[in-house]
Amino acid sequence: MSVAAYGGRLRSKKRRDRMINILTFVVVIVFTILALFPIWWIFRTSLMTNAEIYKYPPSLLPPNWLFSNYEKTLEIFKFWKYLWNTMVIIVPSCLAGTFTATLCGYAFARLRFRGKNLIWALCVGSMLLPAMVTLIPLYIGWTRGLGINDSYWPLILPYFCGGGAFNIFLIRQFIMSIPRELDQAATIDGAGYFRILFSIIMPAIRPAMIVVALFIFIGLWNDLLQQMIYINSSDKYTIALGLTNFRGQLKSDWSLTMAATCLSFAPGVIFYLIGQRYFVEGITLTGLKN
Amino acid sequence: MEAINKPQKRRSRIYSSEARVAYICLIPAFLGLIFLTYLPLFGVLGISLTNWTGLKSPEFIGFDNYIKLFTTDPYIKDSIIATIYFAVISVIGSMIYSLFIAMLLNRKIPARGFFRAVFYVPYVLPAAAIYVGWSWLYEGNFGFFNYLLSELGLKKILFIADSSYVVPSLSLISVWLAGNLIVIFLAGLQNVPIVYHEAAEMDGANGWQRFRHITLPCMTPIIFYNLLMSLIANLQVVTPALSLTNGGPSNSSRFMTYLMYDQAFVNYKIGYACATTFIIFVILAAFTAVLFKTSGKWIYNEGGDDK
Repeated sequence: MSVAAYGGRLRSKKRRDRMINILTFVVVIVFTILALFPIWWIFRTSLMTNAEIYKYPPSLLPPNWLFSNYEKTLEIFKFWKYLWNTMVIIVPSCLAGTFTATLCGYAFARLRFRGKNLIWALCVGSMLLPAMVTLIPLYIGWTRGLGINDSYWPLILPYFCGGGAFNIFLIRQFIMSIPRELDQAATIDGAGYFRILFSIIMPAIRPAMIVVALFIFIGLWNDLLQQMIYINSSDKYTIALGLTNFRGQLKSDWSLTMAATCLSFAPGVIFYLIGQRYFVEGITLTGLKN
Repeated sequence: MEAINKPQKRRSRIYSSEARVAYICLIPAFLGLIFLTYLPLFGVLGISLTNWTGLKSPEFIGFDNYIKLFTTDPYIKDSIIATIYFAVISVIGSMIYSLFIAMLLNRKIPARGFFRAVFYVPYVLPAAAIYVGWSWLYEGNFGFFNYLLSELGLKKILFIADSSYVVPSLSLISVWLAGNLIVIFLAGLQNVPIVYHEAAEMDGANGWQRFRHITLPCMTPIIFYNLLMSLIANLQVVTPALSLTNGGPSNSSRFMTYLMYDQAFVNYKIGYACATTFIIFVILAAFTAVLFKTSGKWIYNEGGDDK
């Protein structure tokens, strides 16, 4: 191939690449609109009267932007109470789960002790055990064995026990990627094992710890089943329970139901916007480290 | 003698203090593994052999629960079919969707971070709220999808209130929720060595050939991971049944986990529900095992034979 011909091919390739990139961008925008559309539709419904909702053809924008729907919803849907209840479960679980997962991950990644392989195998094995399998025995254990009824403890306390094998695994993989020279240098300076964990390892694995906290957050956020079986009284309802119950009460009042739905979306979106960078970074890590 | 023994002793002291620290660190996980994982697992087996209802003390009845489940239970067969149906279309749909979106986002486009964030958003919303929200889109008369259908001149569909559409309708939501798969795929795509693509392009490979022979093989470990995770998650599906359908219409969305919930917490047949749980466990384990077994055949190991 002559140089001129090669140059020509390169130029035409460049032009073709630009075309493809523009086309890709257009397709991405179309899919973005499709992905966001359900959320928009829910939101616009929450700002309309029921009469406006049932009009044909439906309008894409709410005609009057009735934010007063939210006031009406808040009178029946005790959002702030539910949010508080949800946080009472989530905050201690996230803190304890992340902390204990870090302790365990550190032990598996760095320390030598007898029985390590056995405990590690049990840990990895439990990762493949689906959560629903242990649901009934745990329920019996909490309610019959320990006599704990209508309480948040069965939802929170498990996170004081290592925060789940998957999270321990994630932290371990992360600690193993940190050069050992760092802790060796600290050992020479006379630091103990806990000192190394707190002042060297923990700062280095902060992104992984944040990810673990976020995973626990999402897990609890979505776990309607366990909330349903452990929580009975309505003043202890979480957002998920409150909304499910609210929908049952107002079967056909779609505008208020959608307002309640949007309220339930809000905390997740806000936390996501704050932690977005860590979310993406961390999910990325889970995929690559495993 | 002393000179030789001394360092030895010191080393073992360090070693034992190291082990002590390790055991302290592992106390929480150890408690969790015993009381929250392995004891309950044996508990399921044990209780499944009794007729416990939660009121009277349980009696040992051998395999009666299992026999009843396989012979006279009206729900379990449909439940298993519905769950597998749901899981298979959800997993295939979300794998294709998320790989496609990830490949789009892997190209040079402006504001990539923004788009990635957008596709991830559904995943951080509380599941119960998502199903309630979508139930309005699926509403039988005035829902958005029925508006589209009537614009296209088609008959209205009841979606989640129609037993033949409820599972695909719920699967669509589950595909929409696959934002985390997109992020993981995207990370994997960014790790595919660009030199491979350049070399193939020099050799005149077209886009499809490069996808088929470079991108896909390099992505197989990530595809396996995503496949495993979404399969396990989707086979345990329960939230849509709890928050929307209550297993209906006519049991078409009575997923396995919901069936178990219904037996144990609505009808208080705890022994019977444990037998169901164990069957579900076996089904899940079988799916996982098959996936692992076949994985050796199609996972491309970049390191070659060095392991």
